[in-house]
Amino acid sequence: MRIGETLGLVVLFAFSVEAACRVEDWVQFRTPILARERSQLDLLVRDATGMHGRAGGRFQKWSLNAFGMRGPDVTSAKPQGIVRIVTAGASETFGLYESPGHEYPRQLEDSLNGQFAKCGQIGAQVLNAAMPGMSLPTIDQDVRLRVSALKPDFVVLYATPAAYLEDAVPSAARPDSVAGHPAPLPMANAFFPRVAERIRVQLKSLIPTVVQDEIRRRQIRTTLLQHPPNWRFESVPAERVAAFQSDLRRAIGAIRAIGATPILVTHANRFAGSSVRDVATLRMWEKFYPRASGQTIVAFDSAARFATIAVARDSQTIVVDLPPILARSGKSVFADYAHFTDAGAALVAGSVTRSILDAERSHLPAACASGVSVSSRSVAPAASLAAR
Amino acid sequence: MLFNSVVFLFAFLPVTYVVFWTLKSANSRYVWLTVTGYVFYGYWNWHFCFLMAFSTLVSYLAGLGFLRWDNSPRRRKYCLWIPIIVDLSLLGFFKYANFAMGTASGIAGWFGSDLQVPRLDIILPIGISFYTFHTISYIVDSYRRAIRPTRNFFEFSAYVSLFSQLIAGPIVRFRQIEEDLARIGTHDRTRWLWRGLSFFAVGLVEKVIIADTLAAFVDPALASYASLSTAGAWLAMLGYTFQIYFDFSGYSSMAVGLGYLFGLRIPQNFNSPYKALDPSDFWRRWHISLSSCLRDYVYIPLGGNRRGEWRAYCNLLFTMLVGGLWHGASWTFVVWGAYHGLLLAVHRRFAAKWDALPAPLKQPLMFLFVIVGWVFFRAADFTMAVTILRAMFLPTSGVLVPQPYLVLFVLLVAGWWSMAGPNVFDMRHSFTPRQRAIATVAFAVSLALIMGTRNSPFLYFQF
Repeated sequence: MRIGETLGLVVLFAFSVEAACRVEDWVQFRTPILARERSQLDLLVRDATGMHGRAGGRFQKWSLNAFGMRGPDVTSAKPQGIVRIVTAGASETFGLYESPGHEYPRQLEDSLNGQFAKCGQIGAQVLNAAMPGMSLPTIDQDVRLRVSALKPDFVVLYATPAAYLEDAVPSAARPDSVAGHPAPLPMANAFFPRVAERIRVQLKSLIPTVVQDEIRRRQIRTTLLQHPPNWRFESVPAERVAAFQSDLRRAIGAIRAIGATPILVTHANRFAGSSVRDVATLRMWEKFYPRASGQTIVAFDSAARFATIAVARDSQTIVVDLPPILARSGKSVFADYAHFTDAGAALVAGSVTRSILDAERSHLPAACASGVSVSSRSVAPAASLAAR
Repeated sequence: MLFNSVVFLFAFLPVTYVVFWTLKSANSRYVWLTVTGYVFYGYWNWHFCFLMAFSTLVSYLAGLGFLRWDNSPRRRKYCLWIPIIVDLSLLGFFKYANFAMGTASGIAGWFGSDLQVPRLDIILPIGISFYTFHTISYIVDSYRRAIRPTRNFFEFSAYVSLFSQLIAGPIVRFRQIEEDLARIGTHDRTRWLWRGLSFFAVGLVEKVIIADTLAAFVDPALASYASLSTAGAWLAMLGYTFQIYFDFSGYSSMAVGLGYLFGLRIPQNFNSPYKALDPSDFWRRWHISLSSCLRDYVYIPLGGNRRGEWRAYCNLLFTMLVGGLWHGASWTFVVWGAYHGLLLAVHRRFAAKWDALPAPLKQPLMFLFVIVGWVFFRAADFTMAVTILRAMFLPTSGVLVPQPYLVLFVLLVAGWWSMAGPNVFDMRHSFTPRQRAIATVAFAVSLALIMGTRNSPFLYFQF
């Protein structure tokens, strides 16, 4: 082969690889061939309404609607007879590992519609307002500034307690623009090779788990060396639990202020109630919150669970206590330290369905609440809607 | 490890290839192929390497026994039956124990007993059906003096653990590869190189572009089979019919290609089976290595067609039942085997009438029979099989498969290729500039898909 032909084949190869990536994204996820999102971070925007998803954002399996919420497009006005539910939270609610359409909010919608169909109700609509990294103050802000316009009947809140183990206590996301709409992503992004991300993921998967764990261990150590010796939380910091509790009360207040019923879901993780520690997976979690040791993160999550139940009791709020439900299931419910598999998301959806049906009981025929595939014991309603 | 994975393509294969050709002696190459075979196998679950090693050792010792007791029929029989019993016991335990106990419970239930046999927590070792057949064929051929058993342990272990055929076939018999193995130290590296790469690339396209694309629509459609309309059921089953062909044929093409890269000529396993004109023709073209094993080690020892017509029908039925059971421990596989056994027997009975039909009618009819068989093969249980068959043959309202136009397009391509186009052995594996460009695009597209969301295992791994 001559050099010219070889070069031609190299160009043809590169072009074909890139074209195939784009066509596959389009076929599988309807991602536009010239979509400008280069990573999951590009799905996130900060504007005058705080931090939320980018309207119409598309990256790999993640597809956002016109409100910047993961899921199908909906009208702003709530259709007559529909129960509208907004799910708020961070990456666990947004959905990272579940196959498309199997994140818990979508399964919640399916589950509720299945139940409502039994008793001739019109149906439910679930809007997934969660975005990775959203803390309670940011959710509070989002509820007030954006979610309120959608007039939800329920807001399901699945907060991430570990966010309170960051360097500073979380605060509401500051807008990086005063404009009503975020700046569009640059056109040049559309031509960034998508194969690069695939290569990155593949290369990472080729690194043995032991080596990946060692890399994470070193990264944590490096972070610790950059801080004073007592910087690290070696036990559950009470003031952080109090901050979590206080922000949770504020978020409940914000939800009630927009006329919706809050439903709290206690945070679950792979390690709760288990004496067996998957050290490598725990270190993955620790890497995100190096200020706390792995044990402290797990203990903090547990403390936050009890704090959530206490807040729910005080404020007469419905609470779904998730950790025991997932622990009892015996299924593989976590894809990593705290994010769900399809099966895990189904359990969350089933549990929340039960709590919504309980709350709506006074308005629904009895047939609606029958046959939900989750034990009624799995939901601990601190208060019913009627008691509010 | 999968052939269609990045770790195989960019780490395992290059290292195995370079080291193999760097080594000069036959023995060092046997050792290297053995080591890489175990690495390839152990990448899935290293514990089961011991099982394969044990099976290899038992069969190797049996081979030595045949050499030592050449004139002792009684001892030769021990050398035949002991390893076969060991191999089949391992296969029976790992693959069929729960099936047998479940069936026993079911039968007890029919007689009013509430016998509850506990289910054993057994993991099915991947590829156990294939390497068990490799070792059994070696033992039987040694016993029949069709081959001379090797004294070189590593030659034998390289044959059993040869990674290209280890976990999903083809079932290569020792006699088919013996000559190439014996001359492994003197092969010319470049002689089969381009042919091997070409076979591998064609297999990759079959698997990644066609089979996996179809799987993306067929799997979700069949997961909710109860809601399929008549058109949906037909699209889903047609999709599965081509998916299983291109999946397994793709694997076999890659296996043959990999064999060529190491100077080993692995025989053809698929010869355009959907071009078959009758059931016998189909089984001469589909999974040739298995059907020829069943013929040589089950059908002929039962008497074949030498003991009258009715005995031949029974032998056909029994052989295909074994073939069905070989694929999996489930009654749906048994029914699939029985169905093909019946087809073969009925065709044998009415061959003259069938042969009188025009070829343009025979091929689609045979194809239809094959599709019906795949319903049982694919179904998780009889409820699923009956529901799909009812949707196919009785007007049923329901849903189509997702993205039906795309599915139709892929089905047309797959249909043309499998029913009218050339198979990998028919192709001319020369490298003109145009063919190089096509191969480059095909490899690039396959690679992009592999690196995406499609790193799916081969269907035949489960057998």
